[in-house]
Amino acid sequence: MTVIDIPAEPDLPRMNRERGARLRTAMAGQGVDALILLGNNAVTYATGASWPLGDSGLAHVDRPVAVVVTDDPWPHLFMPFREGTSARSPLPADHVHPPVYLEFDEGVRNFAAVVADLVPGGARVAVDEVTGAMRRAQKALFPGGPPGDAALVLTAAKVIKTPDELACIRTALRITERAMADVEGALAPGMRQIDLSAAFVRRAHEHGALANVLDPIWQVMPASREAGVWTTHGDLALPLLTTERELARGDVLWTDVSINYAGYCSDFGRTWIVGQDPDPRQREQFAKWWDIHSAVKDVLRAGATAADLTRAAVAANGGSKPWLPHFYLGHGMGTDPAEMPFVGTDLGEEFDAQLVLEAGMVLVLEPVVWEDGTGGYRSEEVLVIEEEGWTALTDYSYAPYGD
Amino acid sequence: MATEVLPDDRALRSGRRKRALAHMEAHDLDVLVLGRSANVRYVTGARGLWTAGTHPFAPAAVVVRATGAIHMLSTWDEGIPDDIPHEQLYGLTWNPMNWVTVIRDIEGAATARRVGTDTISPTFAQLLPLAFPFAELVDGEPAMRAARRVKTAEEVSALRQAIGVAEASLAAAVGELRPSVSERHLSGVLLEAAAAGGVTTPATQEVAWVTSRDHPWRRVDTDSRVGPGDLVALTAGVVAGGYIGEVGRTWPVEGGDPAAVRDLYRRSAGLWELLFAACRPGAPAGDLLAAYDTAGEPLPPMPVARGLGLGFDPPVVTSGLPATAAEERLEPGMALAVTAYVWRRGVGAVLRREAVLITPDGAERLTSSPVWKR
Repeated sequence: MTVIDIPAEPDLPRMNRERGARLRTAMAGQGVDALILLGNNAVTYATGASWPLGDSGLAHVDRPVAVVVTDDPWPHLFMPFREGTSARSPLPADHVHPPVYLEFDEGVRNFAAVVADLVPGGARVAVDEVTGAMRRAQKALFPGGPPGDAALVLTAAKVIKTPDELACIRTALRITERAMADVEGALAPGMRQIDLSAAFVRRAHEHGALANVLDPIWQVMPASREAGVWTTHGDLALPLLTTERELARGDVLWTDVSINYAGYCSDFGRTWIVGQDPDPRQREQFAKWWDIHSAVKDVLRAGATAADLTRAAVAANGGSKPWLPHFYLGHGMGTDPAEMPFVGTDLGEEFDAQLVLEAGMVLVLEPVVWEDGTGGYRSEEVLVIEEEGWTALTDYSYAPYGD
Repeated sequence: MATEVLPDDRALRSGRRKRALAHMEAHDLDVLVLGRSANVRYVTGARGLWTAGTHPFAPAAVVVRATGAIHMLSTWDEGIPDDIPHEQLYGLTWNPMNWVTVIRDIEGAATARRVGTDTISPTFAQLLPLAFPFAELVDGEPAMRAARRVKTAEEVSALRQAIGVAEASLAAAVGELRPSVSERHLSGVLLEAAAAGGVTTPATQEVAWVTSRDHPWRRVDTDSRVGPGDLVALTAGVVAGGYIGEVGRTWPVEGGDPAAVRDLYRRSAGLWELLFAACRPGAPAGDLLAAYDTAGEPLPPMPVARGLGLGFDPPVVTSGLPATAAEERLEPGMALAVTAYVWRRGVGAVLRREAVLITPDGAERLTSSPVWKR
């Protein structure tokens, strides 16, 4: 059996080359000659540029943009001169351009003039976002007709990770786990949820995170579904936002955090109890979660479908879905914190049956079990799919429930 | 921040909604379909889950002008204001066709003539017409920008609070500045202080860097540790109550050439005075670009000014958009983050960023963090 050999350190130039090749294969597969990318994570994937991500509100106006043309091995990057921009760029100097401002007619006019030089006339162009100013300049910017959706090209390219991408994800996970170990070690009654967030962001940055990706979640679980907040589907809410709420002894916390390293996200989820050990009923919740997650891992390998996984999970849970209706049993992860493959979403059973898993895909498994009066149990485990099974990218403890 | 998830204050919400509805009318929009977090917060008054970076477009809020009703994406009602009842909430979906079904059933969708979106993806450009069978789909962002560019009194008060948190977190990081400390440590301390101050959502995470002595703006890319004589730039940006508070300062570390450092700070102070003088009602935003020229300083790589509010608000004043800046007029009620940036070879850069409110008779500086002086 061959297992993917994940290097100890990512080779970033090699990673960029291999991603570029995957992207161009996906473009060819979908008949796309050129990509114009505005989404932060898409630009990172296409160009290798990574930077500490900011708030989405600011990101719209001060964002890098990428242009990928199928017969040029290098992408073009229009990079805002951010404060503290790294001196190192993975691209040749003539492929790095001054920033463009696609929220403004003037910015789009300037950009269209450059794009006309880079993209041959008549090329089939795909784009991931069309701002209002781009829509107004549609004829100049997309002379070959309305653009296709670049998200479909990105999804196809990103779904299988190269060994260097896996090394980045593993590093992101290790940084996260070191930071969370510090937070878990300090967890005590009387702390506020935001104190945990404060400790986490500090430790994550000190351990090498490029950026925090998610406002950290420390959701105190209700005594019963009935006692929880109202939801559109009647099941549990998740994730509920962090406040200054003080944690009390015995509170069951569903935690969820994510950071970025070299453009790659981590995902971490564990159930913790504040200031005490689980009682026997709570341990049973964990045992049930463990059974479900083991049953899924038993069928997980290249060639299995998403439906094979959901079936195994439902069977291990006695016939009902062990995940929340607005989420999934599992999801992929890469430059986006949640990306394809999605397993068990409302895309439906037919979608799951047609989704064949392949070696090199990353899957974050996150089944959920719930019984009123216990706080339930939820953890996330990050796996890479192999020809004959899977490899775990994490080994964080399940304490205080078990090892 | 409170101990439970609360919607924005009623006065803040209603003032913003009034402006949004007025500008929908002025832009002849029957319905707005909003995907950008800041626009969604503006009209709903509900705090969303913060995730870093741009988000792909999805219809996260729908505003119907005829009824004033706001429908929004939320699978639960925690933190949702009571003027958005359960029937107007729709849950998270991964299936694009479910969005169409939900939106098509909103009262007013079937008869809408003009529907604006704040941005769009090619996929939703194909799907949304299915939900609005008789509507022309147009750019709705100008209406939202027009609503957001001038702040209500309640918004200014929210901005002041955000700036307060940004300044306190900046002070915490400045307190840690000493030779051999790492940029990472400074970033960690600043973000920790903001979170402990109640703001777990950063506006920027480009926090601390040693400015280059060899290049006008590039980062020193060595060991990312502070050395003797370095000029260290620190920027704090937080999203508090949805509003962005920003401040930036540069502090010198002992061991540099005192005369050269003093000279650079003198240039910085002179530039800042010219920039602040350019912040007056009725003036073209281009005066902020001209201030650099008057000071004899080259335009910096980053925007000289941009609006502060729930995120990206007009104007954006940058060397890349001179015509836009010339056309844009400053108005009372606009809030700006204004950046003074000077550099000297062999010494480094001094970045100074202040938050400024345009007032009826001039401007008020909202930031008050100390500036290094010798």
